[in-house]
Amino acid sequence: MKKIWSIGLNTFKESFRKKMMYILLVFALIVIGASKFFGFLTAEEELKMIKDVSFSTIEFFGALMAIFGSLYAISTEIERKTIYTLLTKPISRSDFVLGKFFGMAMILLVNFILISLFFIGLLIFKHSPPDIDVLKTLVLIFVELIMISSITLSLGTFSSDAFNVICSFFLYIVGHLTSYGRELVERTENVILKGLGDMLYTILPNYENFNIRDKVVVGVSVNWAYVGNTVLYGVLYIAIALFIALYFFERREI
Amino acid sequence: MSIISTRDLTKIYVLGKNREVVGLNRANLEVNEGEIFGILGPNGSGKTTCLKLLLGILFPTSGEAEILGRPPYDTEMKKQVGFLPENPYYYDYLNGPELLTFYGNLFNIDHGLLARRIDHLLELVELNDARRLALRHYSKGMLERIGLAASLVNDPRILILDEPTTGLDPIGCRDTRNLLLKLKGQGKTILLSSHFLSEVERVCDRIAIFHRGNLLATGTLAELNARYQADNLEDLFVKTISVFDNPETGQPGAAQ
Repeated sequence: MKKIWSIGLNTFKESFRKKMMYILLVFALIVIGASKFFGFLTAEEELKMIKDVSFSTIEFFGALMAIFGSLYAISTEIERKTIYTLLTKPISRSDFVLGKFFGMAMILLVNFILISLFFIGLLIFKHSPPDIDVLKTLVLIFVELIMISSITLSLGTFSSDAFNVICSFFLYIVGHLTSYGRELVERTENVILKGLGDMLYTILPNYENFNIRDKVVVGVSVNWAYVGNTVLYGVLYIAIALFIALYFFERREI
Repeated sequence: MSIISTRDLTKIYVLGKNREVVGLNRANLEVNEGEIFGILGPNGSGKTTCLKLLLGILFPTSGEAEILGRPPYDTEMKKQVGFLPENPYYYDYLNGPELLTFYGNLFNIDHGLLARRIDHLLELVELNDARRLALRHYSKGMLERIGLAASLVNDPRILILDEPTTGLDPIGCRDTRNLLLKLKGQGKTILLSSHFLSEVERVCDRIAIFHRGNLLATGTLAELNARYQADNLEDLFVKTISVFDNPETGQPGAAQ
């Protein structure tokens, strides 16, 4: 575990020395900060706007960090040949992949906490401290970000950066549209199309499961059972993505 | 006693449809405990491929490789091995002590012991004055030296060095040579690959000559000079390779 922690910590340090992460963080804070300048709205509408913009910003910029950070986590080690030295140390390839994953998770967590604290501070400034539903929304967004990271990391163990980034963004978009896709498939009477649609619905990541912000913004509460089940779905998906990553990386020639 | 061995170790690189390159062809190598063993060969001769196969970075197409009787991917074995890659690349945002601490932690070395060892290693490779300098500001020679320190952070029983003097000035080369002899005196086994014949001639107990993925000859310099009727290592090197490339000339010393 100490080895995984060491690799994770090194990944974390490396990412925080990259300008891209700071730029994304600053952009996210600017967008959230800008949401309070809707003075022409009523106080209630302004609060909704702040929540809506903030949740979307945390999710979108977090997804960008998850994809770009995880994209380079393994490939940079290979391109810069630092992996030659690393893999000759008493670590297994699994330790390496898991270390990279935990490093990315730490990066996402720190960024997520910074942006969330800014958002919560804004709510408190507007005399509307966050309720439990705001926290539920944030928890689900964070699990979604870790899921995106694990998928990009997994793709990176057997594909090029270009293929990986296209696939990761494709899955990010499709993952938010799966519910619409299923509705379309349910309307069709073609058995093959229906079967294919069901299969894709099961296999593809369903990021829309993690989206409760539309409800929370308008004051609809989401029960803990839903949050728990969605977190469980995310954890299972992350575990499968990591298993695939380990499978391919164990066999990869460097 | 043999401490590193390969049996018919073969690596064929598949570069695309119907295109294969033999990286290493049925190599049988034995390195004895306590010796400095040099691997020689021109570029693309299979030296680095052999080292990567021994260290589990590459997977063999066929054959076997063992260090301390264990397979290349064995983590217990790796605890006793230090490795310096050719043209080492490290995390350029770290400084010397941070890099050594990172690698030391992968060996689960006690913090106090690791701190003392890092001080000693930085002194040894003369990088103590550059403790705070990030690796991205290091010269090629400094990178080679911190790489050497990194390969010694676990006080290894076996040291595997791929072109350890590349980028070093003459004084750096001499210091590295002296260090290798000192480490040998401490009982360490050293396997090194090099282009520099004079370096190999001065420090190695035995050598192996590789060419086009084939292990052409193994032995002490005296044995090989006698076998190939060579005057020195350079002469031996040229003759060994020429015999392989032009077998019809009938020169002595067909592949051993």
